[in-house]
Amino acid sequence: MSALRLISNRTSQQALSNSDYTWDYEYYEYGPVSFEGLKAHKYSIVIGFWVGLAVFVIFMFFVLTLLTKTGAPHQDNAEPSEKRFRMNSFVADFGRPLESERDFSHQMAEESQSLFHFCINEVDHMNKAKDSQKGPNLESNTQYQEVPGSSGMFEEDLHCLTKFNIPNFVNTEQNSSLGEEDLLISEPPIILESKLVKQSSHRILD
Amino acid sequence: ENISDFSLNITDCTQVVVPEEVFFTVAAAGILENLLILIAVVRNKNLHLPMYFFICSLAISDMLGSLYKTLENIFIILCKMGYLTRHGDFEKKLDDAMDSMFILSLLGSIFSLLTIAADRYITIFYALRYHNIMTLRRALVILAIIWTFCAGSSIAIALFSYEAATVIPFTILFPLMMFFILCLYVHMFLLARSHARKIASLPTSTVHHRTNMKGAITLTIFLGVFLCCWAPFVLHILLARFCPHNPYCACYMSIFHVNGTLIMCNAIINPMIFAFRSPELRSTFKKMFYCSR
Repeated sequence: MSALRLISNRTSQQALSNSDYTWDYEYYEYGPVSFEGLKAHKYSIVIGFWVGLAVFVIFMFFVLTLLTKTGAPHQDNAEPSEKRFRMNSFVADFGRPLESERDFSHQMAEESQSLFHFCINEVDHMNKAKDSQKGPNLESNTQYQEVPGSSGMFEEDLHCLTKFNIPNFVNTEQNSSLGEEDLLISEPPIILESKLVKQSSHRILD
Repeated sequence: ENISDFSLNITDCTQVVVPEEVFFTVAAAGILENLLILIAVVRNKNLHLPMYFFICSLAISDMLGSLYKTLENIFIILCKMGYLTRHGDFEKKLDDAMDSMFILSLLGSIFSLLTIAADRYITIFYALRYHNIMTLRRALVILAIIWTFCAGSSIAIALFSYEAATVIPFTILFPLMMFFILCLYVHMFLLARSHARKIASLPTSTVHHRTNMKGAITLTIFLGVFLCCWAPFVLHILLARFCPHNPYCACYMSIFHVNGTLIMCNAIINPMIFAFRSPELRSTFKKMFYCSR
């Protein structure tokens, strides 16, 4: 890169006072640059660039925050199952194609029922195909034991899913503080979901 | 050497010099950290997954960037001590090779970030079929293609760095990739949001309403760090090509070494925001360090 070479040239000549890095076969003849008659501050590009970059990053942050704002306010009882639950329900949606987002306006209860059935069917179908596969994931087994928690099954699923390394905005670490994230689903779907999660994650991890 | 000519005209915007000790420390830290990640992934069989291979690819490209700076400094020191001549053919080839290593590092970083984003995208949207879509073999093939392409382009760019035809595509590639990665992550966010809404409207659910700040913060950090570390250098290349005689441009180019240090800082920060987030990798590190005691 001629830019690199020339700048290194200048540095060596000015600051180090020995022309060490003069690869002087070819480089840009920048020539003398005069600094007279500057209207703006001489570092204006530097300042402008960094300010612009900072503004852009902050703008991006606000846009993302707006995008991830959830809907109407509800009551919440902060429980451990909340967090896991979000992950489990996230998984439940995996089997559906993206067009499911259009179904927003339908009765959510019915839809979630069909969702569960769909997922169960798909997972069962895949489990049948997968039945011959062996090879227990030893690591996840040991992690099952390692994991503390009131309801062991949920913690296992959570740990399995951390191996997915789903982007961290879907935070599956059970040691992170409660109340940080949203979403809670009540008891009955939890049992169903956790089964799905375990099966799908086993399949994925093998 | 025309020292006096240069210094008369450029005293207004002198080169901002970063001490060599700082360079070496930052570069060494970057290399060590990324090497640790590579060792951890190789040693732990459970980490032989496509997602960790992509993280390794990012670690390799970060290592190359830091290695470039370290080698450059070593050569400067060798020149100072007189072991290397300054005008030789060998040094010229060496310089070309180092420049292409640096560009390889930049391209490798961009493409690794892209594959990590794509991998996460597939994980979210095609989760039940993820294992079939992203097999280990496919992941390795993808990485091989990417690195071959990056190596070829870096050699081409280093050889033809004066042409506008190489500078312009290079600088366009950068924001294009960033934008594409941003789109992938935004789509993932949108799914998370719609999912949250679905959960919220379940009749039997009680939803903890809160803005999902963590996701926005994470993504802003991912992209913000990459932008802040690489964009100054890309702008430098643009200015050096198109307005080297302009005093404003010259003042911007005088902070070149600071830009180089920023790139090495990126090599240190990237493992923290990608690799160390994985609990599996962290536990592997703990085992490595506690076992060695």
